[in-house]
Amino acid sequence: MVPKGKIVGLLGPNGAGKTTTIHMLLGITTPTAGRITYFGREFVAHRQECLQRINYASSFNTLQGRISVWENLLVFARLYGLTNPGPRIRELAAYFEIIDLLPKRYWDLSAGQKTRVNLIKALLNEPELILMDEPTASLDPDIADKTLSLIEEARRALGVSILYTSHRMDEVNRICDEVIFLDRGRIVAHDTPLGLTKRIDAAQLKLTFDGERRVVEAFLVERGQRHGFPQPHVVSIDTTAAQIPALIFGLSERGVWITDIEVKKPTLEDVFLRIARGTDDVG
Amino acid sequence: MSGNRIGAILLQELYITKRSLEVIMDLLVFSLMTVVVFGFITRFLVGAMNATAGSYLILGLLLWEIIRINQYSLSVGSLWNIWARNLSNLFIAPLSLTEYIVAHMLSGVLKTLVIFGVISAIAAYGFHFNILRLGPLNLALFFMNLTIFSWAVGLVVLGLIFLFGTRIQALAWGLIFLFQPLSATFFPVSILPPVLQSVAYALPPTFVFEAARQAYGAAASSGVNWSYAAAAAAENLIYFVLAVQAFALMVARSRRTGQFARNEG
Repeated sequence: MVPKGKIVGLLGPNGAGKTTTIHMLLGITTPTAGRITYFGREFVAHRQECLQRINYASSFNTLQGRISVWENLLVFARLYGLTNPGPRIRELAAYFEIIDLLPKRYWDLSAGQKTRVNLIKALLNEPELILMDEPTASLDPDIADKTLSLIEEARRALGVSILYTSHRMDEVNRICDEVIFLDRGRIVAHDTPLGLTKRIDAAQLKLTFDGERRVVEAFLVERGQRHGFPQPHVVSIDTTAAQIPALIFGLSERGVWITDIEVKKPTLEDVFLRIARGTDDVG
Repeated sequence: MSGNRIGAILLQELYITKRSLEVIMDLLVFSLMTVVVFGFITRFLVGAMNATAGSYLILGLLLWEIIRINQYSLSVGSLWNIWARNLSNLFIAPLSLTEYIVAHMLSGVLKTLVIFGVISAIAAYGFHFNILRLGPLNLALFFMNLTIFSWAVGLVVLGLIFLFGTRIQALAWGLIFLFQPLSATFFPVSILPPVLQSVAYALPPTFVFEAARQAYGAAASSGVNWSYAAAAAAENLIYFVLAVQAFALMVARSRRTGQFARNEG
């Protein structure tokens, strides 16, 4: 389920079934079981009507390399039934700042430019839902960041819903309102990025202190906290998010002067790794 | 069925054809060179041997190009989109497989008409071979029967590519030549061994080539050999229906196994 105007991330390790799921949702792979509905309509029975209202962008699919960007977009505009496609193509090309690329052959473009053209293709029919399969996979960090900004802006300006797959946890964290974790073809978790990270209780507390090391050590042993001293006046404690205030307060009470606090909470990547390695059930 | 979407695929075909040296070489240049070579061979044979037998070569070649270009266009046309990893993009648009295939069939017919016209003109002006001697009705019937046969072969080849992937893509431009000797393109069926004659008469183009030789061999513009035309049409009907069903089954299986999407991977 992708709510209107939201970006839902589809995550999972290699072989989890992300791309296969996208292909089934697009109708190019037939599901062995289950039902797909778009906008309350059964996909198989109303395929063309549904496809008219959705679109797709992926780094794995490109347009025809030997024809120009303009010609490619014109073909797709006609496939989506646009009666006067020129202004729409130019409007989107201006929005994505690629007006000067329209006469160029698609295969002469850089990876970042191709991604922008793919996004224009994906927006031609003013879709209500776009399926994006790792759209930034082949991009360097700078171009990936710009592409994400464009996707965020497109979502804001056009109110389009997006189903988004990626291996990059930072970008999922940045743009997704909800995340679905897949593992071996099954949904194992579905929550907001924050909600998912909260399912892992573990946290790491790193304190820089002024005072006796043995006082700190005694306190932590008494509390049964696993810890280490990477530097003489720095202690690293493996704990839980809930215990952090009590630990800081307890050390202060024993006269330990804390000069710096660093808390490392679980990230989406930690959730991903737990699922991928099968070390925990976060669902 | 939407005329707009069929038009969109035809537009894409036009753009690709204009920009692809491969298509121009495979279709136009290959046809031009072949007609020139066959024209000279015919001229040599007409001078040295039997004039009618010599003209059968160029007649067979001109008609064979109807099969080759139509089939190439249908099968290889889709490979361009597979190679470009663009096929999925097309099918996630509201384009049906039927519309896509119809567009490629129409594209093939248009290319065939243009190239057939050009090479027929070369045959007429360069080698004094007038294809119009067959008569307009004969030509139309030959064109129709050869085109339908090439569609049947093209559909099966395309279905196989969707099912097994590009590792068998050579069939797209190679398989059709299997039918060239079997359908007695350049010689009478009687030349073939008896077993192969039975095979030949199971192929619709055989009736076309035989009827064409009869018509061309007649002193004046002759009438239509309706029994051959009907035999070719009946066989074509069977082959085309079987090809459509085989194609549908292969595409369905390709979609079930995920091969359809993996073809571009």
